Amino acid sequence: MLKHVQIIFLAAIAAIAAWTAVACAAEPPPTGMVRIPAGVYRPFFRAANDAKEISVKSFALDALPVTTRDFLEFVRAHPQWQRSGVKHLFADDSYLKNWAGDLEPGTNAPLDAPVTFVSWFAARAYAESQGKRLPTVAEWEYAAQASSTRADGENDAAFKREVLQWYSTAAPLKLGAVGRGPKNFYGAADLHGLVWEWVLDFNTAMVTGDSRGDGGIDAQYFCGAGAQGAQDLDNFPAFMRYGFRSSLKADYCVHNLGFRCAKDL
Amino acid sequence: MKRILYSIAALLLVSAKLPAEEPNTNEVRRSCCIAAAAPAEPLTDKSLYQISSSWTNDAGQAIQLSSLRGRPQIVVMFFASCQLTCPLIVSQVKQFEATLPEETRAKIGFTLVSFDSIRDTQDALKNYRAGHSLSGDNWTLLNGSPDGVLDLAAVLGVKFKQDAQGQFSHSNLITLLNSDGEIVQQFAGLNLNKEQLGVEIEKLIKD
Repeated sequence: MLKHVQIIFLAAIAAIAAWTAVACAAEPPPTGMVRIPAGVYRPFFRAANDAKEISVKSFALDALPVTTRDFLEFVRAHPQWQRSGVKHLFADDSYLKNWAGDLEPGTNAPLDAPVTFVSWFAARAYAESQGKRLPTVAEWEYAAQASSTRADGENDAAFKREVLQWYSTAAPLKLGAVGRGPKNFYGAADLHGLVWEWVLDFNTAMVTGDSRGDGGIDAQYFCGAGAQGAQDLDNFPAFMRYGFRSSLKADYCVHNLGFRCAKDL
Repeated sequence: MKRILYSIAALLLVSAKLPAEEPNTNEVRRSCCIAAAAPAEPLTDKSLYQISSSWTNDAGQAIQLSSLRGRPQIVVMFFASCQLTCPLIVSQVKQFEATLPEETRAKIGFTLVSFDSIRDTQDALKNYRAGHSLSGDNWTLLNGSPDGVLDLAAVLGVKFKQDAQGQFSHSNLITLLNSDGEIVQQFAGLNLNKEQLGVEIEKLIKD
């Protein structure tokens, strides 16, 4: 009897230990992803009624942008996403334009470089095939504001200078390999410096025409969008991203626009 | 005694498994994009009806967008609690409908799709239909999942964003689809060009 009790007691202890491990300890993110802890994102632009702060739950983010090699594997398994098979509702004529053929990226699309010329729909379909999703604007911006040494990169002058430097340089026609840039505070790299990235809710950015100010918004085309305003005029890159997203349509395929995936934890 | 201890251990083991299963509860993000094998004529390359998400109308029926196929549709994204431009847009489309001869009216459809997956339930949409006297024959009111709404807004080029009060900022866009679900023309802003819309519809019906 006593022995039994002992065994059961040990089993119970083990079970409690397992439970607490699952419930309390940070679950390691899936391979190739980094864990972004919960926090708060202050939107760069917001309308009068928008929340000042958006809380971001902890999530997993791909450490690197999706590469041509990754995407090749995807289109091999999903022929409807090959260049000749794609439906034009979901991708414009530039889809995978830099590839040599349906299954041959060729010299202009190095296997280690981020995949670009992909539409929002294609990026979503890829993410879904991996059991992942695209990050939201809030998640992406929140993860991307970290410098290599601190989570609040807005207080890191050197980091801000580097990012700004990249935003003022035109993207090369042939992109470099992923993973060469410095890892940020969370272990993700290339959020700046290589390509722009799709986000799930890119179409929430509402600027039309002249995006240098909200004078470009023609009030009759939008409902309640007249009161957009920048929160941090110093943050030019965030402003650029906002303007860029607002110019996108979901079928656009652009030479310097790639993506990475996220996942709930 | 032994039995009690066993059951405690069993309970502990069960509860040990629970937290790991929890993340599945927010499995909202479903497939986008590719419709299952289409019946009869395949959908065209640019047909919006390739979006495979599932929707619920105000009669509580689950439908696919492809069920709108067969006649031209005038599509508006809106939300029922909107106090600003949605009522204006809907009333413009209604006024337009009233200008049409009966035989034309019978050959086209009007579809209102809500941004508000949460509040625009079947009942809310039913009330909206009654409140705005939208005829049952050719007006379709739809509620969808957040992912479905995101997909449809993306193909229509509608931008939208929910603010902290739960109101939506959104593009004011009226879209004319042909009977295959391809975009024929879009009318932006609050002043619907009814003459032009009428001309386009007549063209579609003749084809």
